Amino acid sequence: MKSAITKFTLLTALLMFGMTSILSAQTEEYKIDGMTFGMPEAKVYTEDYNGSPVVGEYITQAPNLAPLDYEGNKHHEVRLDIIVQEVEVASGVRYQAWTFGGSVPGPVIHVREGDRITFTMKNRSDEMVEINEPMSQMRVNGKRAMGPSDLSAISNDGDWTSTSPFMKQLRENNFQKNKAGIMPMPHSMDFHAGTVAKDDKWRTVGPGETITFDWVANYPGTYIYHCGTPSVLMHTAMGQHGVVVVSPKDGYTEDYEVDREYVIVQSEYYLTKGDGDLYQFDFDAAYNNDPSHVVFNGHQTILHDQPLKANAGERVRFHFSNNGPSGTSSFHVIGGIFDRVWLEGHPANEMRGMQTVLIGASGSATLDMIVPEEGKYILIDHEFVDAEKGATGTLKAGPRKK
Amino acid sequence: MIRSQTNIFTFTIITFVMMMLFTPEKVSSQSVRVLVPAGSFHSVLPEVEGEPIQVDSFFMDETAVTNEQYAEFLRENPEWRRSNIPPIFTYDGYLKTWKSDLEPDYEEVGENRPVTRVSWYAANAYCSEQGGRLPTLNEWEYSAQLLGIEDEAEMNRFSSKLISWYSGIDANNLPEVGSTGIETTTGVKDQFGLVMEWVADFKPIIADEISLDCGTVGRMQTLNSVYSYAASIRYITRMSFNPKITTGMVGFRCAYDEPDRSDQTKHEVTL
Repeated sequence: MKSAITKFTLLTALLMFGMTSILSAQTEEYKIDGMTFGMPEAKVYTEDYNGSPVVGEYITQAPNLAPLDYEGNKHHEVRLDIIVQEVEVASGVRYQAWTFGGSVPGPVIHVREGDRITFTMKNRSDEMVEINEPMSQMRVNGKRAMGPSDLSAISNDGDWTSTSPFMKQLRENNFQKNKAGIMPMPHSMDFHAGTVAKDDKWRTVGPGETITFDWVANYPGTYIYHCGTPSVLMHTAMGQHGVVVVSPKDGYTEDYEVDREYVIVQSEYYLTKGDGDLYQFDFDAAYNNDPSHVVFNGHQTILHDQPLKANAGERVRFHFSNNGPSGTSSFHVIGGIFDRVWLEGHPANEMRGMQTVLIGASGSATLDMIVPEEGKYILIDHEFVDAEKGATGTLKAGPRKK
Repeated sequence: MIRSQTNIFTFTIITFVMMMLFTPEKVSSQSVRVLVPAGSFHSVLPEVEGEPIQVDSFFMDETAVTNEQYAEFLRENPEWRRSNIPPIFTYDGYLKTWKSDLEPDYEEVGENRPVTRVSWYAANAYCSEQGGRLPTLNEWEYSAQLLGIEDEAEMNRFSSKLISWYSGIDANNLPEVGSTGIETTTGVKDQFGLVMEWVADFKPIIADEISLDCGTVGRMQTLNSVYSYAASIRYITRMSFNPKITTGMVGFRCAYDEPDRSDQTKHEVTL
């Protein structure tokens, strides 16, 4: 054994020598037009972390958007771990989803233009992570949840619901009926809201590896994030996508108060019945642009089962993202006209009085609508084949209150 | 790109040194070796146009290495047991579902199920111990596509199923080796449908040139068939690993330059 240890020491030394030469020069941070570029090099490592897969104060389950209760800019510590979950996407249709944080779409991250994000992601696809057990049992391997942010300090009972609004909302409203699963694969994270070199920050990490990198939300708008590991068609169709809402630092151009804000994510599933009860990825359907389901917020009927709420005379703001992977969306509200629309959610891209807004794969819009009167309004992808595959939802309006 | 080249350099050095230091001293458990005759095939990696990749004849295990076979290897080679293996050769997840150093948890992983959660280093050591080596990328891929399916439509159906399988390998419920019914014309079993497998050069130098992003599958599908789409996913997934990774969907089998001479080798000490 002694000689073996000597051999190992030699190898370790060689490895360390190799590691030091790996460090390469990185662009220094700099500014153009007030925007920040040149982020430090991403770190890929292994860590002994088995806590909450979603950590961050401003991270929610769609359609919720966390209010930004701080002035100016903030440095966010955000964690979205990759976990495999069996989820329901339509009545009787369940499959083993590859997820960021446990749901499809992944959690909604809310930041302000100019905010800096230190993002951490562990590939836990080879690990059973129960996220909807009774609170007292919400631990992994008997260890309590630990987070990269101070939030862990208030979760010392091992209850993950305090690690992010998302975990609490998912616990209280587990409409995808999650069950833990295992499907080890390499994965990565591509934030469209980030402006970085993809061969560094969007690097693929294998099961058990963690990546950490920084990015600055330079442009306001609603941006998709997704797994960028090929086949991207398969990885995103398997569930690896979500949105970041970057609120403009000076607000939009409106001169009114918005009464309610909702996040709506459209996406496609390409599923076929597998050998057992579960459905599985259907390559032919995905390759031929023939989704089995086109949905809002990850589930065929969720926005009817749990309609969005408003009152007559209120102004409602939708942050709408078409996460694809391959389809377009012609977003319309039956009985409504979009009063103002900011394409991609950028305040400079203002349009007015739009009936339908065409949004390509990985595109978005921020849409304000005046709710005309008490009643039901149907949100719909006016490409009717998509609507009939599920891309509809309900906005239920109560009587006028003000 | 300097970073990745250095990675490969480091990787090669470590491999080389490891091979030198861990030369097998004994041949232990045997498995059935199948002759894969010389031939050629087209890869999804860039190749000289119109010139398929030539592969010399070699021998390969009929099935993937099982938990039982791996446990036997560990009995003879304590330095590769879970409690002894140095962290430079593996991540924490090495054989993590096993009950103890030498006991696979048969309820969970099964005697005749393929061993998984072994790093590339460990797989290498095992094959050296058997007097073999890991198959090269081209050997493995050449053998895998010898399916004898002539009909294009049938091959497409097979490949579509293969892609679905890549999206849903159930690492908790792996089938036993030899049970998939998928066999090459030379008699190699389960190269598909069981687990993904380590190969010697799973991250070829070209891996750094093929930037892994949204367009990679499109650039790799040089054969313009469903099979090449499935192959692209397989190549990319393997290329994304590093040699310390241990996952529930990656196992391995060994290749050899010589046929099995078990009658003699059982009693012989070979170097």
